[in-house]
Amino acid sequence: MTNEHAASGHEPKQRHRTEGPQKHIVAFVLSLALTVIAFAAVSAGEINTTFTYIILVGMAILQVFVQMAFWMHLKDRGHLFPIIAILGGVFVVFLLVIMAVYWLWW
Amino acid sequence: MSAHEQAEGYLPHEPEKATLEGRNKILGFWIFLGAETVLFGTLFSAFIALRHNVMDGPTPAHLFELPMVFAATMILLTSSLTSVFAVQAMHRHKVGQMIGWLIVTVVLGLGFLGLEITEFNNYANEGHRFSTSAFSSSFYTLVGFHGGHVAFGVLWISLLIAQIFKKGLTTVTAPKIYVSAIYWHFIDVVWVFIFTVVYLMGKVG
Repeated sequence: MTNEHAASGHEPKQRHRTEGPQKHIVAFVLSLALTVIAFAAVSAGEINTTFTYIILVGMAILQVFVQMAFWMHLKDRGHLFPIIAILGGVFVVFLLVIMAVYWLWW
Repeated sequence: MSAHEQAEGYLPHEPEKATLEGRNKILGFWIFLGAETVLFGTLFSAFIALRHNVMDGPTPAHLFELPMVFAATMILLTSSLTSVFAVQAMHRHKVGQMIGWLIVTVVLGLGFLGLEITEFNNYANEGHRFSTSAFSSSFYTLVGFHGGHVAFGVLWISLLIAQIFKKGLTTVTAPKIYVSAIYWHFIDVVWVFIFTVVYLMGKVG
């Protein structure tokens, strides 16, 4: 992609779709909503503890997906190796947290 | 084609990915972030295992002030948005706008740090010190490590702003800006889990 422009030798005008801020603002609003839901679930109180935990973990995972896909550009082309790197880390964390939780319970 | 040749000509559309060096820098940074994920994972798992061991110190439910945590969350979330705006300005070659958004990001990062320092100070006054209990030690290690990352990010992005003033936006400086923005988003992603696991779950019990 970059080689084409280097070969053409002059500044390309409007040849790229410059992405607008819209989808990043959508990601921001989504993150905001997910954060507010999580805080509201705790502030409301009187909800079943297990159910609150499920809401909290669900909101956190959704928010991280939104932020990584849009803000960290993982949904863009050519991000296979970054995704593998981060999933490798997440796999180890998953094992660690499972270990910690079961160490606590049993 | 070397980075210098490109820097003297026009700036490509995505200057951070225009050179092999830039692309390698970004890939290398993602591998680093994979390792950072593991680092924070160890701290999280230690916290999860130890969070009920409060000894004679205050319990999480008694200690945490959610309005303050919510304010800190909003600040960090907004700063993540402003750093993505900085990268977008860089893609459009608007250097002034990019520096403006980076400065906003740094200021918001400083605001977050200020809130965190106030918060830790309040906790210490309530008898929640580093050596009070296993809960307090793991709490300060985890949240403090995140705060340390924010402080490093503030310093790093400030230095990059200074370098942009000196050298301008080139295919050499652009990957640094891009990678620092990725780092800043990562800090925000870690904070999502901190406010969920530490503060909100601590409040639930």
